[in-house]
Amino acid sequence: MIDFYAWLAGLAARGAIPQVFQYAFFVRGLLSVLLLAPLLGGLSHLVVARRLAFFSSALGQAALTGLTIGIVLGEPINSAYVGIFSFCFISALAMVWVKRRASLPSDTLVGVFLSLTLGLGICLLVAVTKRFNIHQVEAVMFGSLLTVTDLDLMVLLVAGVAVGLVLAFRYNALLLDSLDPALAGVSGVRTAFIEYLFVVLLTAAIVVSLKIIGAFLVEAMVVVPAAAARNLARGTRSYLLWSVLTAFIAGVAGLFISSRFLVPTGGAVVLALSLLFFVTLAFGGLRKRFA
Amino acid sequence: MTALLELRDVTVEKDGKVLLEAVSLEVEQGTLHVLAGPNGAGKSTLISTILGRTDFTGSIRFHFRGSGRIGYEPQRFVVDRTLPLTVAEFLALSRRRRPVCLGIGKSARQDAEALLGRVSLPGFGPRALNALSGGELQRVLLANALDPLPELLLLDEPASGLDETAAQSFENILVGLRRATTVLMVSHDPLQARRIADRITLLDRTVRSSSAPEAAP
Repeated sequence: MIDFYAWLAGLAARGAIPQVFQYAFFVRGLLSVLLLAPLLGGLSHLVVARRLAFFSSALGQAALTGLTIGIVLGEPINSAYVGIFSFCFISALAMVWVKRRASLPSDTLVGVFLSLTLGLGICLLVAVTKRFNIHQVEAVMFGSLLTVTDLDLMVLLVAGVAVGLVLAFRYNALLLDSLDPALAGVSGVRTAFIEYLFVVLLTAAIVVSLKIIGAFLVEAMVVVPAAAARNLARGTRSYLLWSVLTAFIAGVAGLFISSRFLVPTGGAVVLALSLLFFVTLAFGGLRKRFA
Repeated sequence: MTALLELRDVTVEKDGKVLLEAVSLEVEQGTLHVLAGPNGAGKSTLISTILGRTDFTGSIRFHFRGSGRIGYEPQRFVVDRTLPLTVAEFLALSRRRRPVCLGIGKSARQDAEALLGRVSLPGFGPRALNALSGGELQRVLLANALDPLPELLLLDEPASGLDETAAQSFENILVGLRRATTVLMVSHDPLQARRIADRITLLDRTVRSSSAPEAAP
C-alpha cells in the first residue's frame, strides 16, 4: 500500500491529480468511501424497508459503549474492534430477541435499549477518561480520516464482500419478509432467522464504518441514501442504484469538505447527504408535477 | 372425503385474554370452506395459528398428499407508499433466486404476466405495487398465493373492499379452483359464503356451528 500511496503522491506533486492526493490519509479516506458507499448505500434501502432507522441509531450509540468497554479491557483506543463488535452484536441480538417476545412497539423497546447502552457508555466513558483524553474518543463519536489505517480498510473490504454476498443470496427473502412476514413464511422464508441475519449484517456494516462516519452519525448513512433514492426510483433496481450513488457522492463530497475545512468527516458526509436528500426531494416533486 | 386440515381443541390466549377456545374443525380435501363470524370472533387469529404464527394449545394436523404447499392471502397488506416495487418484482420475490434489485429477466416478467392474466390483470407487471387500488392489490395477492398451486389456500377476507365487478371476478376464480385445491376462507359476506362455500363454520371464539351452506344459520 505504501508504494501505491507514494505513486499517487508523485502524481499529485506533478499536478496530474489534485494536490490533496499527496496525503496518504486522504487516499485511505477515499478508498473507505469507495467501500462504504455500496455497503451502507446497499443496506440502506433494506433498513428503510424494514423500518430499522431508529434501530441503527441505537447500534451507533452501542458502538460508543463497546469502545469504552474495549478500552477498559485493555484494547488500543484506535482499534477496539473486539469491544465494539462484541457489544454491538450482543445489543443487536438482544433487541431482536426481546422485540420478538414483547408486545410493546418495537421503537419503544429500541428506545429502552438505547437509553441502557448510552447510560452504561457514559458511566464507562468517565472511567476511561481518567486514562485517556476524551478527545481521543471523538474519532469514533464523529468520524475522522486521520485514524483510518490500512487494517481498517482491509476489515471494511472483508466485511463489505461478506455482507454483499449474503445479501445477494437472501435479498428476495429479506424484502418479502419486510413486506409481510406471514406471506414470507408461507413462501418458505424462515422469518426469525432472516430477522436475526439482517441485524447481524447491519451491525457488522455499522461497526466497520464507525471510524469514517462516527457513532453518532452512522444512522444517517444507513437511512438518508435510501430516503433520497425513494424520491427518484421507479423500481427496485433503480432504488438500489440511487441509494449507492447517493452514498458515494455524499461520501466523496464529505471527504473533500472535511479535508478542506478541517471538520469531522462524519459531519461533512451527513451534511452532503442531507443536501442530496433535499435536491432529490425537489427533483421528485418537479417530476410528479410535470408528469 | 378425507380431512386435509384437522384442528382439535385449539385454544389461543394472549395477555390473559382467550382469543380462541377449544376450536375443533375439519376442512375436507378439495372443498371451499368458509369461516364466518362477527368482528373479534378470532377468525384471523385462527388463520394465523394455522400458519404457525401464533402460539396455541391443542393440535393442528395437515394431511397433505402432494406438495404440502400452503398459499396465503392476508387480510391487510400495507404497502409502503414510497417503496418503489413493481408488481412483477413483487411476484418474483418468492419465485426467483436472483435478487430483484439486480433487475428481473424476461422469463420472470413473462411468468408474472401469465399469473396476472389468471386474475384478470393483464399488463400490470410494470405497475408500481403501491399505486394499485385495493381490489387490484387483492387480486395480485391472490395470484401470488395461487402459484405454484397450493394444496391448502388460506384466504383472510380476500373480498373485503372489492367493488361488485371485482368481487364477482374473484368469486369466479375461487369457483374455478374447486376440487383443484382446498380453500379455507374468512368471509364477512353471508350471501357470498352461501353462493360459493361447500361448508360454512360459524366462529365466535369457539365453533358455534359447522354445516353445509343450505343448513347454515
